[in-house]
Amino acid sequence: MQDDLIIKTTDLTKSYGPHVALSKLNLSVPKGATGLLGPNGAGKSTFLKTILGLVQTTEGEGTVLGLDIRTQGDEIRSRIGYMPEYDSLNPDMEAIHQVRYSGELLGMNPTIALARAHETLQYVGLGEQRYRNIGSYSTGMKQATKLACALIHDPELIIADEPSNGLDISARNYMIETLTNTVKTGNRSVLMASHLMDDVERVCDNFILLHKGKLAAQGRIEDLKAFDREIEIHVWGGASRLEDAMTAKGMSVRREGRVMRILHEQEDTTTHILQCAADVGAQIRRMHEYEASLEDLFLSIMENLGYEVKSSEDLLASPVQARKVDAPEHMGGGSS
Amino acid sequence: MSELGEVPKPMPVEFAAEAPVTGKVRLDAAWGSTEGDEDLTAASTTVGKSDGQIFKQQYKQWNGELNPRWMRNWAILRHHLLGIFKKGHRPWGIPIRLYLLVVFVASLSDVGMTLVSGLIGDSGLHSVWGVSRDNLYAHVLGFFPRNMLYYPVVAALLVGGVISEDRQHGTSALYFSRPITRFDYVAMKFISVAMIQGILILVTLALYYFAEIATMGRGWAWIIDTFPLFLATVFSALLLIFTYTSIGLSLSSVSNGKFFPGIALLSIILGTKVLAFISSNLFDREILYLLSPYDCLAHVGQAIIGTQPTYDQYSWTWSLASLVAMNGIALYVLSTRVSSMEVTRE
Repeated sequence: MQDDLIIKTTDLTKSYGPHVALSKLNLSVPKGATGLLGPNGAGKSTFLKTILGLVQTTEGEGTVLGLDIRTQGDEIRSRIGYMPEYDSLNPDMEAIHQVRYSGELLGMNPTIALARAHETLQYVGLGEQRYRNIGSYSTGMKQATKLACALIHDPELIIADEPSNGLDISARNYMIETLTNTVKTGNRSVLMASHLMDDVERVCDNFILLHKGKLAAQGRIEDLKAFDREIEIHVWGGASRLEDAMTAKGMSVRREGRVMRILHEQEDTTTHILQCAADVGAQIRRMHEYEASLEDLFLSIMENLGYEVKSSEDLLASPVQARKVDAPEHMGGGSS
Repeated sequence: MSELGEVPKPMPVEFAAEAPVTGKVRLDAAWGSTEGDEDLTAASTTVGKSDGQIFKQQYKQWNGELNPRWMRNWAILRHHLLGIFKKGHRPWGIPIRLYLLVVFVASLSDVGMTLVSGLIGDSGLHSVWGVSRDNLYAHVLGFFPRNMLYYPVVAALLVGGVISEDRQHGTSALYFSRPITRFDYVAMKFISVAMIQGILILVTLALYYFAEIATMGRGWAWIIDTFPLFLATVFSALLLIFTYTSIGLSLSSVSNGKFFPGIALLSIILGTKVLAFISSNLFDREILYLLSPYDCLAHVGQAIIGTQPTYDQYSWTWSLASLVAMNGIALYVLSTRVSSMEVTRE
């Protein structure tokens, strides 16, 4: 539904001279949490700047929260909270005053901004540390302060650029929980750019994958993972024979030593596996369904996808074919 | 008190010579005496353990309204100005604040002397320190000590980190990811720095003028006679503040720290002055004054206020043109550099 979209772009293009940073992006980002993925140089930063209304688009159009990114940049920035990837805090200021000031920069009354700064710092877990100078904070505390700055005016959309960058495990977990909580109980939307697939998977329901300024894939993480389900078996004795037997039966097998992953294409795939094992006399010590992580999928897509826009729907329609459609010829793609 | 449920029926315990004396047996003997208490239930006063939650993360919504542009700009101005006086705003640093205080007090020297001369009725002292064309000029544009030790140093200290620190700490993202335009950002920073200098130069100038009126009992005729001079001095001061601020901020915008903009501003103001002075003495040519912001300001100030000109080889309009060019270049650099400040990474 149109009303449920927080970001929508149509043929969005941004060029810096001859360099095309974003090429004809057609995106529909629904409410909730969405992960923005892509390798370095994919156009993530340009995309964020474009939807913040900070750079003019070369072509195409887009809306954020129903506001035009070409003409209503100020209003967009009033209604979203941006958490930058890099340091954006004055180390000589106390966190409470830094967060208060960030609220004042949005037009909040100083008294209200101070009250709200207390609330948001409490929310991000810095309640007892809020009168300390930011310079004395750990990386996790600085990240939390940046999040508090983004949340001070209770924005409808929070853009978090690498929120768990450089954090240790506990701080990272806390950041992820906070973002999840903001989406689930706060009913806010989050657009999270990250290279940590695990974090994106924990927070987000949807994803956008950019590659060389183009949309490589978008959709629900669940759907993306569903199309590539495999069965993992641990084999003892006769692994090679079993692999040959399964391949001969037309099953798609990936093998690493005694561990094999077989594409779960049909309901009776497990029966076929067991039958093959019985035929060749190999022992299957362990068998379970293997669910690929987002990272696996990301790497797989980046490896195989070519240079044309591809949505997850295309990928889902015919997984193996779709992966090869636009890939370079040496990778098995071409004119299918 | 919490019920722990029924105690299991105790096993019969046999006491015999060969029975080992273990803790278990002794406990069984003590607890289950098999004398009709099998149906008793055990009661414990121990409070059951529960997982408490010290901190409950709860998102609180806010339904307030955001104020318009002027309020956002006021926030930037307030942040920089109040930082001079109190905590919680821009941290200016103790040495800077102390120096500002010293300069403020030192700039009031002519005010103090005017008050003293008025109080003791010494006309000789008053003729030296009282309000006059030359003294008004000297309050703003006198080279030593004001434009050697006070105002350029103050400008250098103020502009040092105003923009460069936003680049260094990445705090520019805090501004530009909010509805703050680059123009508003620069304008408010410019006005903040200029206002602090204004407090030191213009406020002390006004106090000087009003001290003369108060202590010498000047009437309307004197005020009408001298007020244009006062306004001309105010205009010269504004020109000085504008020039020092624009050059200083442009240096701050190309830098990543405090030191370079400060020292570069001092070098430009004092270095060109020294260079022009040397050239003038060695070759009897004053053309290099056109490169010195201070000399150009002084030349234009002398012309506006009407004091005895000390730069008489060229017309003061050349100095004015030079000032316009200097400010134009500085503002161009400033606007270009601020336009290039990033939000996503710096």
